[in-house]
Amino acid sequence: MTGLMRYQVTEKIMDQITDQLVVCTIGHPCQELFKIKDRAANFYMLGSMGMASSIGLGLAMSSAKKVVVLDGDSANVMNMGAFATMGFNAPGNLVHTIIDNEANGSTGFQPSFTARNVRLDQVALACSVPNVTLINRPEDISPAVSKALAANEMHTLVIKAEIGLMPGIDLVPLGPDEILGRFMKAATA
Amino acid sequence: MTPTDLLYQKLRGNGLDFFASVPCKLLDRLLKRLGDDDEILYTPVSREEDGVGVLAGAYMAGRKPALVMQNSGFGNSVNAVCSLLNYYKIPVIFVISHRGSPGEPVAAQNVMGDAVADVMAAAGVPAVSIGHPDQLDLIDAEIATAFAERRSLGLLLPFSFWEAT
Repeated sequence: MTGLMRYQVTEKIMDQITDQLVVCTIGHPCQELFKIKDRAANFYMLGSMGMASSIGLGLAMSSAKKVVVLDGDSANVMNMGAFATMGFNAPGNLVHTIIDNEANGSTGFQPSFTARNVRLDQVALACSVPNVTLINRPEDISPAVSKALAANEMHTLVIKAEIGLMPGIDLVPLGPDEILGRFMKAATA
Repeated sequence: MTPTDLLYQKLRGNGLDFFASVPCKLLDRLLKRLGDDDEILYTPVSREEDGVGVLAGAYMAGRKPALVMQNSGFGNSVNAVCSLLNYYKIPVIFVISHRGSPGEPVAAQNVMGDAVADVMAAAGVPAVSIGHPDQLDLIDAEIATAFAERRSLGLLLPFSFWEAT
């Protein structure tokens, strides 16, 4: 465990984000991202749990821009097949970050499969996803993010975190037209 | 030309340029043609919902996406259709082999085959059934309207389409 809560990991990732496209998984992760660093190039996925990895893959395959997915452990268990699709294509401009707090944070912090029996880094490896790193120490996060952002190969970072929420978060106050409109402008610029 | 060749030309002629697929026996030749086409992006996906996500991402980057699959897979993707495609108004063209249509040899396919058009309608994706390759010209306007209105569209292709000579 890194000893950090998800939002603290998100802060460390977003510290290094410049012009990359960011796709964020449903629920509290979107609310925390909005508070940490709202920007046009953030796609707040407010429904469709599990789809952030798939969306990130389609974006990365279609664009020359770097794509960073902010994902969760249960979302990836829900859409585990996406690892097969990601490993098949493995676009060099995709960075898949999974902040693994071993809980379903947005629904009451029920323990998730990663608390008991699932190793998402091993799932990714078994699907031939390249450059998979499991991160347990807080000081390893920023160097790993920096390396992944600079690389020309797909990277997957599974970052272990504690449960807990950023204080003062609320629903993302943007409608779907605004989120998609400004994101597409950034993605196609 | 075969029904597959006519369909492939039609889909490409309408500018569709990012395809994802889950296989069906009826789609085998179409999937080979897509796999051989260097001018498009194409990937197999693990299941149809995964494909909906991949294609939503493709649309965000300016692509015109289509999901090639059998009708059973629509049931695997309903939540993503509603809370991703419909919520953000992202159009995807669903190119669907209609198992359970007359001629179906596998009885278990009939149940979802009978339900699929209503399930699609309830999920806000109108479905057009193309019973014969002669009717393919119908889809030009349908696809153009779907992209103009930013809503998804289903093309249901029953056994009669694939077996036409």
